[in-house]
Amino acid sequence: MKNKLLTGYARHFTGRSEMLKVMKIGILFMILGITNVQAFVYSQTYNIDLSLSNVPLREAFARIEEKTDLKFLFRSDLIDINKATNIEEKGSTTLPELMTELLDGSEISYNVVNDNLIVLSPKQPQKVTGIVTDEKGSTIPGVNIQVEGTTIGVTTDVNGKYTIELPGDNGVLIFTFIGYTTQKIEVKGEATINVTMVAETQNLQEIVVVGYGSQKKATLTGSVSTVKGADLALLPVMNVSNSLSGKLSGVFVSTGSSEPGNDGSIITIRGISTFNNTAPLIVVDGVPGRSLDRIDPNIIDNISVLKDASAAIYGAQAANGVILITTKRGKIGKPAINFSYNLGTGSPTSMPKLTNSFEYTTMLNEIDFYNGVPNRYSDNDLKLYQDGSDPLGHPNTDWYAETLKPWSSQHAMNISLSGGSESFRYFISASTKFQDGFYKNSASNYKQQSFTANLDGKINKYISLRADFSGRLENPNAPSTPVYDIFTSASLGKPTVLAFWPNGLPAQGGEGGANPALLGTSELGYSHTKNYVLNTNLNLKIDVPWVKGLSLNLLAALDEGFQYNKLWNKPWNTYNWDGSTLDENGDPVLVKTTWGGDPKLSQTDDKSQNLLTSALLNYKVNISKKQTLELMGAVEKIEGSSSYLYGYRRYFISTAIDEINQGGVKEMNNGGSSSISARLNYFGRANYTLSDRYMIEFQWRYQGSYIFSKENRFGFFPGVSLGYIMSEEDYWKKSLGNSISFFKIRASYGKTGNDLINPYQYLSTFYTGTLNSIVNGGTGAEATLYENVVPNPNATWESATQRDLGVDMRFLNGNLALTVDIFSNLRDNILSQRNASVPTSAGLSLPAENIGKAENKGFDFDISYRNSPNPDKLSYQIGFNGVYSKNKLIFWDETPGVPDYQKSEGAPIYAELYYVSMGIFKDEAAVTNYPHWDGARPGDVIFKDVNDDKVIDANDKVRSDKTNIPVSSGAISFSLRYKDFDFSMVMQGILGGERYIFGYAGEIGPYFKDFYDNRWTPDNPNASGPRTFNRENEYWATSDDYSTQSTQFLYKTDYVRLKNFEIGYSLPSSVLKKIGSTSLRVYFSAYNLFTIAPDLKGFDPELNNKRGYGYPLQKVINFGVSLGF
Amino acid sequence: MKHIHRILSVTLLILLISCNKDFLDTTPKDQYSDLAVWESPDLIRAYTNGIYQQLHNPLGTLWLSSFVDETMAQGFWGLSTVNSSLINPSDLSVLASDHWGQTMQPLSWDKAYKNIRACNLFFENVDKATYGSQSEKDQIIGEVTFLRAYIYHWLVAFHGGVPIITKSFSVGDDFEVPRNTYEECINFIAGECDKAAALLPESGEKARASKGAALALKSRTLLYAASDFANSDASWAGSYAHPELVGYVGGDRATRWRAAKAAAKAVIDLNIYSLYNANPTSTEDAIKGCEDVFLNYTTDEDIFLITYDYTNGNWPFTYMGQSNSPNGWHGWGGAGPIGQFVDAYEMSDGSKFDWSNPAHKAEPYANRDPRFYATVLYNGGYYKPRPSDVIAADPLGLVQTGFYEQPDGTYLGGLDTKDGIDNWNAMPTGYYLRKFIDPKVDITVEIQKLPWKAFRYAEIMLNYAEACIELGEEPEAILYLNKIRTRAGMPDITASGQALKDEYRYERRFELAFEQHRFFDVRRWMIASEAYTNVEGIKITYNLLPGGGYAPPVYEKNPDTWENREFKNNWYLLPITIAEMSRNTKLIQNPLY
Repeated sequence: MKNKLLTGYARHFTGRSEMLKVMKIGILFMILGITNVQAFVYSQTYNIDLSLSNVPLREAFARIEEKTDLKFLFRSDLIDINKATNIEEKGSTTLPELMTELLDGSEISYNVVNDNLIVLSPKQPQKVTGIVTDEKGSTIPGVNIQVEGTTIGVTTDVNGKYTIELPGDNGVLIFTFIGYTTQKIEVKGEATINVTMVAETQNLQEIVVVGYGSQKKATLTGSVSTVKGADLALLPVMNVSNSLSGKLSGVFVSTGSSEPGNDGSIITIRGISTFNNTAPLIVVDGVPGRSLDRIDPNIIDNISVLKDASAAIYGAQAANGVILITTKRGKIGKPAINFSYNLGTGSPTSMPKLTNSFEYTTMLNEIDFYNGVPNRYSDNDLKLYQDGSDPLGHPNTDWYAETLKPWSSQHAMNISLSGGSESFRYFISASTKFQDGFYKNSASNYKQQSFTANLDGKINKYISLRADFSGRLENPNAPSTPVYDIFTSASLGKPTVLAFWPNGLPAQGGEGGANPALLGTSELGYSHTKNYVLNTNLNLKIDVPWVKGLSLNLLAALDEGFQYNKLWNKPWNTYNWDGSTLDENGDPVLVKTTWGGDPKLSQTDDKSQNLLTSALLNYKVNISKKQTLELMGAVEKIEGSSSYLYGYRRYFISTAIDEINQGGVKEMNNGGSSSISARLNYFGRANYTLSDRYMIEFQWRYQGSYIFSKENRFGFFPGVSLGYIMSEEDYWKKSLGNSISFFKIRASYGKTGNDLINPYQYLSTFYTGTLNSIVNGGTGAEATLYENVVPNPNATWESATQRDLGVDMRFLNGNLALTVDIFSNLRDNILSQRNASVPTSAGLSLPAENIGKAENKGFDFDISYRNSPNPDKLSYQIGFNGVYSKNKLIFWDETPGVPDYQKSEGAPIYAELYYVSMGIFKDEAAVTNYPHWDGARPGDVIFKDVNDDKVIDANDKVRSDKTNIPVSSGAISFSLRYKDFDFSMVMQGILGGERYIFGYAGEIGPYFKDFYDNRWTPDNPNASGPRTFNRENEYWATSDDYSTQSTQFLYKTDYVRLKNFEIGYSLPSSVLKKIGSTSLRVYFSAYNLFTIAPDLKGFDPELNNKRGYGYPLQKVINFGVSLGF
Repeated sequence: MKHIHRILSVTLLILLISCNKDFLDTTPKDQYSDLAVWESPDLIRAYTNGIYQQLHNPLGTLWLSSFVDETMAQGFWGLSTVNSSLINPSDLSVLASDHWGQTMQPLSWDKAYKNIRACNLFFENVDKATYGSQSEKDQIIGEVTFLRAYIYHWLVAFHGGVPIITKSFSVGDDFEVPRNTYEECINFIAGECDKAAALLPESGEKARASKGAALALKSRTLLYAASDFANSDASWAGSYAHPELVGYVGGDRATRWRAAKAAAKAVIDLNIYSLYNANPTSTEDAIKGCEDVFLNYTTDEDIFLITYDYTNGNWPFTYMGQSNSPNGWHGWGGAGPIGQFVDAYEMSDGSKFDWSNPAHKAEPYANRDPRFYATVLYNGGYYKPRPSDVIAADPLGLVQTGFYEQPDGTYLGGLDTKDGIDNWNAMPTGYYLRKFIDPKVDITVEIQKLPWKAFRYAEIMLNYAEACIELGEEPEAILYLNKIRTRAGMPDITASGQALKDEYRYERRFELAFEQHRFFDVRRWMIASEAYTNVEGIKITYNLLPGGGYAPPVYEKNPDTWENREFKNNWYLLPITIAEMSRNTKLIQNPLY
């Protein structure tokens, strides 16, 4: 290249030393051919005394040539030698210093030849090409590449390739792309530069989805947490709600169960501020009420959580926050196919430890001892239980082990195709999932098939059309016994009762043949559910041609749901042994019993429909260079309906056919009902931005709902937010710009509502109850009718006042990002009943009235640090987010005259009353010396005489300052990519919650091992736990009845849990090329791998059950592969 | 800018017009409006069916028999608390209105007043409906009049005087209402019974109130009111400041007995009720008759029936068999007769059973009052064929609560003991329930659908006899007592004075066993301290004979007891809960709480 340029030098020499210059050309050729480095002359210094001001270059050259031995060589047709220059030299100076001064501001570069010959040439453009890929090696189209300090820029093509011409052979290329860290790369003469972009979550250029639109993160004024679909799709969970744990600041996710098909998490945003429904509004592609749980994570592009008044645009449904899910759309480019497969295995996180048969029988004897009746087990029995020498007569059965298998499989597969052209783009995805239940021979599993086709068409310059179709078949299967009953039975399974005989036949196990090991199987029948979901969106967007910036968006979304359930109960067999008869082989002679009577089938058929139509006008105008105004206004109509039909038959002649027409006609039954809902919403937004640093936004919703009376049907919900990017100010850039590159302060205030309450509370209505067999002496039946609650015509929504103050900051060149928000949610008009003050003698079913008031205050934060010391080899990210939210009741109906320590007001919502345990009465003297419950004896729990009136009664209960809902939750995430390996993990923790756990035990079933170990006995009078109890016979022994709960059985739920963990390996592109693939990654991941919950012994901290039973949570170990073409 | 305005306003206008707000005017599709209900006699009938449905269906295991010297219940906690008189305003244990055991819930203060409101609402609105005939309207008004009085009767029986509320409250009303005196309550209930009786027909569906039902309720109410407890001037209550709340203060007791007698006689004089199987042909026939009274859906002896929830079939009575049968039939042994109850059965000749009588001790179940065999399952007695897995061990279907000596000298219990099958359900007293349980029902599969006999003629005859005795009209009393004894296959009574009173009390205890009377009888006769003693049972041992086989069983009173019971005077009446006391500051607590 350079040679080509220099060929022209021979022709037009100008200046006085032309001949000399010509003579040296040969040398010039030689030198330039081998080197362009002039370092060896740089050390040389010149003493020039020269002061020129605003003289043409050619004159300056002449003056320098006069004063030194330097010679200038140039083509006057290529460089502007008349350009004015300034030079001010005194004393010694180096050549580069001199040349820099001389050529400042010109388009001229120079080379030094033979120490003193300076060849001048125009700064030459240089062509650089390359491919831009992401961390996984996929090419990225549309990456912006700019030469630093110039306006020269290109973008990568559909294959991620780019070509750019630099004005000189040196320069810095800046690679930017939404969602990725900006990279600066020095060209240093390289002709090929391939770049790996590192994904960044805090990129300020990122577009954030907000209610009915999207905004740049940099100028966002609301408090919004976001997560990318790609971060969720990796988790080996069957339910999207479970994958949100720890991913979003301010969002608390609690999974109560991992039962296949029934494993949704409870999501609360910034804690709770009402004692009614606390569920956030879920909006999928603009349509409220779609499922977050069951959507295929592979089609999620991103999730935004509106945490403050930015949710006001959703009005009366927004008080608990809003979760917006946006699905993926096709991008322009050749078809890209992605395939992924995951194979995992799940097992319970933890099961309570229960007493074995020896411990259990020992305790039953203790019950007899305390009751003054003879021991039910002889010393010989105890011995046999202990040494296990009589496995048939004195067994030791571990019912959990008999009922549950150690590992259950799950798998998931997804294939997607996307791409398109300017006029038509497509994203098509299909997924299938399977999860097996924990039971041995499980009748419980979950299957799901889903597909999505998101299509974008551009009809002409002004009109574009979107059509989205998403369909899903959710197929949860379960045993006919409800899950709670199965785990209750297993937890109460007596270790002294055999599960299976040596020949493998099931023993009776429990009452009525309810052998827990059979309940989870299909022996007793099944409950099969098929839930078909169809979501469709049709969206027409018109950019109004004659008004720039004005567009009209019309949306029609139709959702249909069909749910079929079949509950089949059939007889089953167990086998009994009389305890003595043996056959010739010495095996017990067993007798079959059939349980369950006749086969029974209940079938339900549910149908639901939701139709949303809306029209939205958007107008964006640049009022001046510095001012932007965006206006939006819309109307939205939502109508829903549902109906169900139910049929029941019994007395099936055979279990061979489980269809309803095979059932007997005797006692056949059917039922059904329907409901409708309707909402009408007007809403809008105005954004104003000044100088890209001052932002103000106002949004509102005027909402009408069928739930309320005509007079109270409409409500207005406004929200306003302000933002100020201080770092855009010059003073900031000068003083703080290097350390804090971005600083934005935000504030918002708004009113939202919560209408998740029973509809029609304003009407005086009567509901039909169950039939009364009141005629024909009890053999015939008639309808019953009951008064509903007393109407409250004034019932209206709960209203929330939300305040938020936040800052977004970036440090260390944007590698460290910090967002902190403090918030307060004041909820008033909470619907609640005056049960506490209205005497029950009034007989009223009290209506809910808008009387409650509660407040929730706290802060949330998100810190992340990411660095790519070497983008090709190493990049990592560390994140820490958390939320602290403390709520308190300000008002609700309090029983008059209760002592202050029992008041609900001022205490957290749901705070319960407990007797305060002061330990255990160690002996008779201890009982005598302290006020006690009538009938208390040594080994019982000491209830504190709180009001010091020497009597223990309900006035001694104290309201706790904690609840089941933790005050703080947080997560630490870490991810690392090294060469072809990647690693990521999320550690979740919560603090500040408590749970009352007291299991049934006694004659009904075994005790917790922990109780056994710590119980009071006459020989262990200083025990920390009370004596052996039978069921709930002691005053302190209660789980169902709230009246005598004490702090003795109150446990802290604090925990730290490794929620997620993943290691992956991506094949290098060199290998991929050979197999014709663009990416191939294999990975190992785990979910809920370990948990530390110091105060909970054997209970999963997320399993919210007072007795410690319930379908457990699972930990999953998973292998996966993803492949792209 | 003009353009913009035009476009915006036109578009929005179109949208607004297109969105007619009328579609928001929905109504619930699965509920009736109050207007619809009160204009329709059919819906009003359904509404009253709902009041019937919320009445107390007593049977189960957690029934009043387990709170007095009839049965002992297993499987419910807090029973000993209650039976040791340890309940208090902070903890009503199994009697709390929200207790999961449910059986007792309809009797609780909360639930009773809820159902009373349903009645009051009916009275305030029934005139809005147009009935086809006055008699139709009279009947429905009569039914609800009876129902409200019936609910008040239970409230007063448990609490003494309670607030009489005859209007339906609305939100914002002053809800604080003081207790009415005991006398006011009795007068109110009796008066309502008269009103109802005047409106109601004599015959008809027995699960609906009839003239007989209203008069029977009056009889029971006035009997209670004339008894010792209500006329004790609260002498049992220490220095209670409000004796008028828990009984009569002053007045003429004989008048009360005469009123009680007249009320019972009014039922008798209807001449529509008679004893079922009044003249049995043999002892066997007598036993069968006493059993079948309860196993027939309806007989001429029935006055008022309480039926069950047809849809769910889920009130405890329907599971009577499963809840209470012996464990050896895969029953749950829920409530079993206690030793004291069994021991009190007379011999079939009318003499007392006596453990110190060698003949009695040798065969304690021989020659007892025939009602014993219709009421109690005992060792060696026939129940029904065993279930398929047990039948080999006992082809005869005889109850086994004895213990058999083993060659090693230890004893192993029979099928219905703690050594039998489903052994955790064994009733330690050695007795199980027979009364009310239909042996034809396969207990593990089927539910029993028999109605509960809330009032039957035998009770009225006994009420009448008691009043006669108290009024000194002994021959009249004996006449009716002997009708009952004849039906039971027992010899006639000839006693008089205290002996007659004792015989009467015997008759009432065993004729009406488990029928929710004994709990109140021991209180109103003020003999409760005798009725609350630790639960006793039977000990039966089969000893090996030297040559093999077992000797006849040895029966003795079991020296062990199974539930501690003790009566303290507070337990005459239930307390009002602390919560209700603070919600209604006009309430006065019952004595000794």
